[in-house]
Amino acid sequence: MAVDEGHRTVSVTINGIEIEVPQGELIVESVKRLGLEIPVFCYHPRMKPVGMCRMCLVEIGFKQPDGSVRMMPKPQAGCTLPASEGMVVLTDSESVHRDRKGVLEFLLVNHPLDCPVCDRGGECPLQNNTLAYGPSTSRFIDLKRHLPKAYPLSQYVMLDLERCIQCGRCVRFTEEISGEHELAFRFRGASMQPSTFQLLDFESKFSGNVIEICPVGALTSAQYRFRARPWDLQTTPAVCTACSNGCNVWFDHRAGRFVRINGRINEGVNEEWTCDKGKFGHDYYNSTDRLRTPLVRKGDQFVEATWAEAYEEIVKGLESAGKDVAGLCGTRIANEGLFLFNRLFKQVLGSRSVDHRWTRTLGTSRVQTPIAGIEGKKGVLVFGSNPAEDLPIVFLRLRKAATRNGTQVTVVTPDVTEADAFATVASRIGQGDVLKVAQEIVDGQSELARKVADCLKEDGAIVTSDRVRNLPGGGEALRLLEDLAARCGAEFNCYPTGPNAMGAELLGVLPGDGGLDTWGILQGCCSGTIKALWLLDCDPTTVEGGDQALESAEFLVYQGVTRSEATAFANVVLPMAAPAEQDGTWTNCERRLQRMTQAIAAPGDSKPAWRIFSEVILRLQPSTPFFNPREIMKAIADADPRFLPGASDLPEEGAILSATTQAAMAGDGA
Amino acid sequence: MSFEVFRDVAKPIIAGFGITSRRLLQQKEKRATIQYPEDRREQFTRTRWRHVLTRYDSGLERCIGCSLCAGACPARCIYVEAAENSDSDRRSPGERYAARYEINLLRCIFCGYCQEACPTGAIVLRKDFELANYDREDFLYTKEMLLEPIRE
Repeated sequence: MAVDEGHRTVSVTINGIEIEVPQGELIVESVKRLGLEIPVFCYHPRMKPVGMCRMCLVEIGFKQPDGSVRMMPKPQAGCTLPASEGMVVLTDSESVHRDRKGVLEFLLVNHPLDCPVCDRGGECPLQNNTLAYGPSTSRFIDLKRHLPKAYPLSQYVMLDLERCIQCGRCVRFTEEISGEHELAFRFRGASMQPSTFQLLDFESKFSGNVIEICPVGALTSAQYRFRARPWDLQTTPAVCTACSNGCNVWFDHRAGRFVRINGRINEGVNEEWTCDKGKFGHDYYNSTDRLRTPLVRKGDQFVEATWAEAYEEIVKGLESAGKDVAGLCGTRIANEGLFLFNRLFKQVLGSRSVDHRWTRTLGTSRVQTPIAGIEGKKGVLVFGSNPAEDLPIVFLRLRKAATRNGTQVTVVTPDVTEADAFATVASRIGQGDVLKVAQEIVDGQSELARKVADCLKEDGAIVTSDRVRNLPGGGEALRLLEDLAARCGAEFNCYPTGPNAMGAELLGVLPGDGGLDTWGILQGCCSGTIKALWLLDCDPTTVEGGDQALESAEFLVYQGVTRSEATAFANVVLPMAAPAEQDGTWTNCERRLQRMTQAIAAPGDSKPAWRIFSEVILRLQPSTPFFNPREIMKAIADADPRFLPGASDLPEEGAILSATTQAAMAGDGA
Repeated sequence: MSFEVFRDVAKPIIAGFGITSRRLLQQKEKRATIQYPEDRREQFTRTRWRHVLTRYDSGLERCIGCSLCAGACPARCIYVEAAENSDSDRRSPGERYAARYEINLLRCIFCGYCQEACPTGAIVLRKDFELANYDREDFLYTKEMLLEPIRE
């Protein structure tokens, strides 16, 4: 992290080259401007420097008024040294190389030589720095430190204490970034070791990040343990589809099978972090429950069928149901698939009953603040839902805003949240009191209402999620708060939580005029007004009355990635490709459109959702089908100018879509 | 018969038959022709042929499933999948062992880089050169085929 002291620049001489850098910038960062590198272990650009590992030692001198250079007698740590006028830095001198060699030799005194079995081997900063700057042989012949090898810190993180070089990155991560303060150093000197307090489980919702920032193999992933070596892996840039935040990730795969997820830098979304739900939540790619071939029900049994047979069955079923058909979908489907799903029902079948929402009361989301924009807010009201749980990356931004920029955070939720730790006001309310409390806040009489008003009075924002609609009176409460925000000039954000819920909403996968919503469709199945139901990667058996509805539906198509409870009720089961097994675009909760390309092949006969719908539409209504997702994106952009950025090449970091069609027409990017 | 014809044609033929007849009369051990497959020529010490996964004297496998051989292989013919040792099922010393170890001998160029990369000396190229077979599948050597039997 650069220490920012205004915009003044100073002139610094690095290895004889004079450059202008912002005053106070750390020397490790300044040398990067020249394309040079200072090796580091403990320093991380997103965390405060501590100077613990001494790897970044450089020679420093100052220009004297008479033009001579006076060198400091001892080397200095580049990661804690702010640039100042007339500073002379040597990163490549003989003594610096000697210092680095010495530091590495000391670090390696207690580091075991088990690189061949270490999961970090091959992508390890300690290995790399030793190779580049370290001694080629070891002079240490005594017994090394021996400590527990594979100690599970949590179900996700394994700790190997022998390998730890005590850089403190993990400890600082929990203190500065995720904010749970769960890790700390125990003991001193060579026996210093990171651990949780009282050896409890490391329960952070962001614990996976410490695996990535650990410069050695001390913290490794329990899931990735011994699965592959880095040189076995192929990696593809992808977008995480665990929740609506749309984090950028590296999708690592080996021999066509998913292996692990690592964070990828996108300054607008996740910076470089991931949450545990995303990092460890992609194992369904390798699940034995994956559907591989289309199945058609023959009596009591499913028979494996070809796609042609399955389509024939579907066309028969849909045609006999006439207009009494409905579609329900989940949100882990790319924009292209959702668009064709919507078109199949609304244009081809002439039904208006389509929905993607599964909250108890249904509503549409409204988002005014992009994720990065939260950092600049003066006050934020968190209402009803726990951001660390529902919107992990929004939570990290919120915490950054509160701890670094002094944003005033007011938390009003039924449950204890991680945000309480940095909130100025944290208020607990009853599960059923959401509406009452919202009314109270709007009325402005109570103590809490005054605090909220104070928080939102200038450049404020309300952060909440669609999970609030599950609470009694939640929908009404959100409406009240939206009005309140409009009145006091604050931004209102009801972020959706489903991976592509925002995309579904923008594409209008919602009941049309006179159409039934989710609950209406399920009731309609029971009462017989809906004869055929299409489930697109969703499982209504998890909601109330879902079982009954599926049982009474005359004709049921289940299209999904994995087998679920709902599969058992279906007449036709269609296997679908998972997100990284197809090309497609995804819209995250801030309406950022991001493109994902195919990383691995879909298993068995499964096809991407868009291809399935394209083929079904072709059989119902002969027309030119869509052959690839790009064509569909063009059709989407033609129908809805908000999606225009998707029709051309999207920038790597994605593009935030306009909230309204008018804004998109006017060319307004926000 | 001119002198030239004698020198260029007859003399070399006679000389050639001379060598043949001398060899015929020689002891069997000294003969240049080896009666393969009954007899085998002794191989050079550094001959590299079929791979073997060796064991320690204790019977534990040397291979720790580190995949360094696969990383070093220029033909990309090695596939390793590792798993974790447990006290009840110990295959190798340490934490890790190879659950799958496959070499595609059709791709292998017998360069010996795997042997050089191996940190435990598990994979070695020995002198078994008779690798012909009838089916392509039979050239996929699995761990069971490569692993040395436990010595009594």
